Parts: sequence; structure tokens; C-alpha cells
Amino acid sequence: MDFLANLGSGFSIALSPLNLFFAALGAVIGTAIGVLPGLGPPATVALLLPLTYKMDPTPAIIMLAGIFYGAMYGGSTTSILLNIPGEAASVVTCLDGYKMARQGRAGAALGTAAIGSFIAGTISIFGLSLVAPTLANFALKFGPAEYFSLILLGLMMAVYLSEGSILKGLVMGALGLFFGTVGIDPVLGATRFTFGLSRLTDGFDFVVVAMGLFGISEVLMNLEVLQLRDVFKTALKGILPTLDDWRRCWRSVVRGSLTGFFIGVLPGGGAIISSFVSYAIEKRISKHPEQFGKGAIEGVAAPESANNAASTSSFVPLLTLGIPGNATIAMIFVALMIHGIRPGPLLLQEHPNLFWGLVASMYIGNLMLLGLNLPLIGFWVRLLRIPYHYLAVLVVTICLIGAYSVKNSVFDVGMMVAFGIMGYLMRKGGFPPAPLILSMILGPILERSLQQSLISSGGDPSTFIQRPISAALLCVAAFLMLTPILKRIWKGNPPGRRT
Amino acid sequence: MKNSADIAAGLILILVGTGAIVGAIGLRLGTPTEPQPGFFPFLSGVSIFILSSILLVQGWIGRTESRISFGEIRRPAMLIAVLIAFVGLLESLGYIIVSPIIVVLALRIMGIRSWRVVLTTSVALSMGTFILFDRLLGITLPVGILSHLGL
Repeated sequence: MDFLANLGSGFSIALSPLNLFFAALGAVIGTAIGVLPGLGPPATVALLLPLTYKMDPTPAIIMLAGIFYGAMYGGSTTSILLNIPGEAASVVTCLDGYKMARQGRAGAALGTAAIGSFIAGTISIFGLSLVAPTLANFALKFGPAEYFSLILLGLMMAVYLSEGSILKGLVMGALGLFFGTVGIDPVLGATRFTFGLSRLTDGFDFVVVAMGLFGISEVLMNLEVLQLRDVFKTALKGILPTLDDWRRCWRSVVRGSLTGFFIGVLPGGGAIISSFVSYAIEKRISKHPEQFGKGAIEGVAAPESANNAASTSSFVPLLTLGIPGNATIAMIFVALMIHGIRPGPLLLQEHPNLFWGLVASMYIGNLMLLGLNLPLIGFWVRLLRIPYHYLAVLVVTICLIGAYSVKNSVFDVGMMVAFGIMGYLMRKGGFPPAPLILSMILGPILERSLQQSLISSGGDPSTFIQRPISAALLCVAAFLMLTPILKRIWKGNPPGRRT
Repeated sequence: MKNSADIAAGLILILVGTGAIVGAIGLRLGTPTEPQPGFFPFLSGVSIFILSSILLVQGWIGRTESRISFGEIRRPAMLIAVLIAFVGLLESLGYIIVSPIIVVLALRIMGIRSWRVVLTTSVALSMGTFILFDRLLGITLPVGILSHLGL
């Protein structure tokens, strides 16, 4: 069995002391930022990225991945105990998790979330290691036309699945494509839109942009409403859910895991949307939907399993197609590129150690997270007592140093502040930041594949619909863009907002 | 009801789109078989222009829901000013001088009254980050006017 042999070699890599250390470090940092509201995974990964420049790629990626899935574990704690999502993917967990805590069942809710996450993570990793090689083989057949359509679909999905208005998401996507053209033209080598600034010849630094868009802007948003946190004071007794709890929710865990896995695999899909979808599914098929929102354990088990499964499976499009589906994965994409590794169908052949080592480290990381979350829950709760202003100044200071450290340049710090202000205004106006950064990163690849396919087809744009895979991808993209309009015509609602 | 935030955003983005189109034409567009550097920026500029025009129209005829609400706008605005000052002064004054001042201002903006807390935090945070990043992690932070002290 190829698969088992590969996984075996992956474990031998992941179990080396250095990689174990970085997996644990990633898991701890991830849990901490998941627990603490105010700093999400994309900003954290961007902040730590410059520190990994001198590391080997495998431990670097193992650590950054650990932050991502670790945050999914940590996010539930804050949702359950505070009714504030520690992380965007734990928003729905507030609904039933906090109610459970108020009913004196905080322990059961936390336990269900952690164990559910563990099961989901494991199922998803298993799925990832099965699906990824097949998908990568399939993607090897892709030419530039297929790539163009695939990236376009990925961007459309990111817009479609982001919160708020689709139109605003599209505007941000288009703006990102334009920002992506700043610097040296990837095909002809001409300098574009640098306004004579030599610092811009390499284009915008994605790490700096992400720190501004996700780190600084978040702090600015939180400053408007300095919230007082009120940790729910309850004796945490019985962290393990009872047998009866399990009987009620094991199916939700499995369904949540599968939902999460499939949504995570989609380009543009991710943990946030999967948690909402799985909650909706549970509520719909439940025999007692009236209990949802009042402390139903299924309402914690399903979304927490789903967000964890999705965060793992969103590595599938990254590692096999080279398409990052969400902002955090986009930062890991950047990390791979900086380490000289091109994410895409060839990654598995060219860097099997990285791929299988990463997959195996996720198994191990999930186990570590279970150990970190259940017995140490008291420690994480104490972390929540740190007043927000300390956290905010820390985030700002680290962002400022982080932006400087990328190239030792004050210009980058200015750029980050500028993108921070822009991100703040975007959030205020309901413009989602994820499509902007995704299309900035994917723009140059989109441009190259567009030009290559046009040149090879003699300038005939119908090449995109004559090639079957490309045509199918474009159809899905068009369908996604048209659904809100069709829905409105159907219902007679005014256009402009998603219903 | 008109949505002034969307109208403003639409106008700004239309300007950006126009700028992209004009700049792209300046870079030459070429033909689909022989695309020049301006080809792709032109397409993205046209997309920005069209999409933000739709946004503008929708905001004008009041079809988008007005969601913008500024809570305590003073605090973020002041922090933005502090951050811009940091960028302006970092190189000349150096991290060791600028960062404690920035932290003091930031904490005051966040409403921390006690000077004892503000000063201890700022000194601890600035020194801590300097030692961690500059000394231990080897990121050379700007020393500015303290350079003659041999830091």
C-alpha cells in the first residue's frame, strides 16, 4: 500500500524532535490566539512568517499549520465561556455553547467541542491523505486555460462564501487583481504602477498587507467598542461529556466532520462557512429543533467538528492545485513560496517529505491539542482575564516590528499601517478583506495563465469554453455569480443584497 | 434612502478603476495574441470601474442597506495618528525611543487612567520586544539618534 508507506515515512519525519517541537509550538500559539478574541489566524500566521525565513521549510509549515488548526480548538473556549467568539469560525458555537455554560454544563460543552474537534481533525486528515494524491494527479493534466478557469472559480467561491454583499466582494476581488499587478510584470518584465518607488518593484509584500488588513484593522475595530469581558464563573466540573451526551451527539460529530471536510476542500471554502452550514443541517434534521439555541449539545458538537475538519481539508486545494482557499491558507501559500516551494500538483512529487510530514504532523498535532485543551482548560480561562488593552498594544507592537522585519524597511511599516487603515474602512463599509488578499496573491498566476492560453489559442477567447474542464469550471463560477440574482428574481426581492 | 457610505466607496473605487485603466493604456495593451504589460491591468481596471459603478448606483437609489455605524470613532482615529507618527519617527529617533512613547499614547487612548500602569507597561513592552526581536532573534531594529551609543 503506497498510502500507508507514505504515511509511515511522514510519521518518521513528523516525529523528529525538531518537528515535534514546532508542531507543539504551533498548537500552543494557535490555541492561545483562538482563545483570545482580537487576533485571528491570518494575522498570526503573517506575523510569524518572517521568523520562519531562516528555518527549514518542513518545520516552518508544520508550525504555521498548527496555528491554523489549533485556533479552531481554542476559539470554542471563548465562545462557550464568554459568548464572544474567540475566532470567526466559532461564532455559531456561542448559540448553544454559552447556553450550556449558563446551565452549568460548561465542562460538557468544552469537552464535546474538544473531542469533536479531535475526531473531526482525524477524519479530515485521513480524507486529505486519500484525496490529495488523486486530485494532484488529475490536476497534472491542467493546461493554462484550465488553470485560468480554476483560479477564477476559486476567487468567485471566495467572494460567494465571504460574508456580506457579493457585489462588494467582487469589487474587492477586482481591486486585489489590480494591486497584484503592481511591480514587475511576470511575463514581459516591465515595471507597472510603482510610481517611481523602487521599493514597489517586487510588488506589495503579502505578509505586510495581511498584517495590516487582519491585524491592525482588527485592533482599530475593537477600539470602537472596548468591551468588558465577563468570564462565566462556574466551577468546571466534569469536562468529559456523559455517556448520554455522547449518545445524543456522536452522529452530529460525524456529520459535522464530513460537512466540514467537503466545504473545506472547495476553493474559497473554509472553517467559517462550514460551521454555519453544519449547524443549519443539524437543526434541520434534528427531532427536537426547538432545543437549538437553548443549549443543545448537537449545536456545539457539529459546528466545532466542522470548523476543525474544514481547516484541515482546506490544505487540499493548496497542496494539490496551488489555490489557497482562505486568508490563512493564503499566508501558508506565501510561506511555501518564500521557502522556494511552488504549491501545486507537482508539490507531492517534488517535496513528498514536506507533504507527508505535514499530514502526519497534523495527526500528532490533533492529539497534542486534545491534551492541551482538556486538562489545561483552567489555564486558557485565566488567559482570558488579561484585559484587552494589554493585548491590543502587544498586537500593534508586534505588527509594527513584524512588518519592519520582513525587509528591515520602514517603508513596509508605512505600507502595513496604510493597509491597516484601509482594512478598517473596508470592515466599516462591509467590504470583505479575504477576496482582496486572495486575488492579490493569485492575480499574477491568473495573468500568466490568461496570456499563455490566449497566445496558444491564437488570441481566441473561446478556448476557455472549448476545453471541457475549463468550461465546466467557468459554468460553476457563472452559476455562483448568478444565483443571488436568480434568487431575487424568483422571490421578487430588490437586488443589491444577498438574501 | 441613499447610502452615503456606499456612494463614497463607489466614487473612490471608480477613481481607482479609472486610474488603472489610464495607467494600463500608458503601458500599452497589445492584442490578445501579443498582450503587452497593460493588458491585464486594463481588464482589472475595467472590472473595478464597472463593479463600483453598480455599487454607486445601488447606493444612490438606496438599494443597499446602510450598515455603517461609527461607535467611538475618536479612539481609532487617534490610534491611526499615533501609528503614522511611529512610521515617521522610527528611522530618525530609533525604536528604543519611539516605541515606549507609542505604547504610552496607545494605552492612554484606550482609556487607561493609572500612570503607573501606563508607564510600567510601556517600558516593559518596549524593552521586552527590543530584547526579544533585536537581541535574541537578530532583527536589527532602527537605533536612530542613539546610534552613537553603540547600540
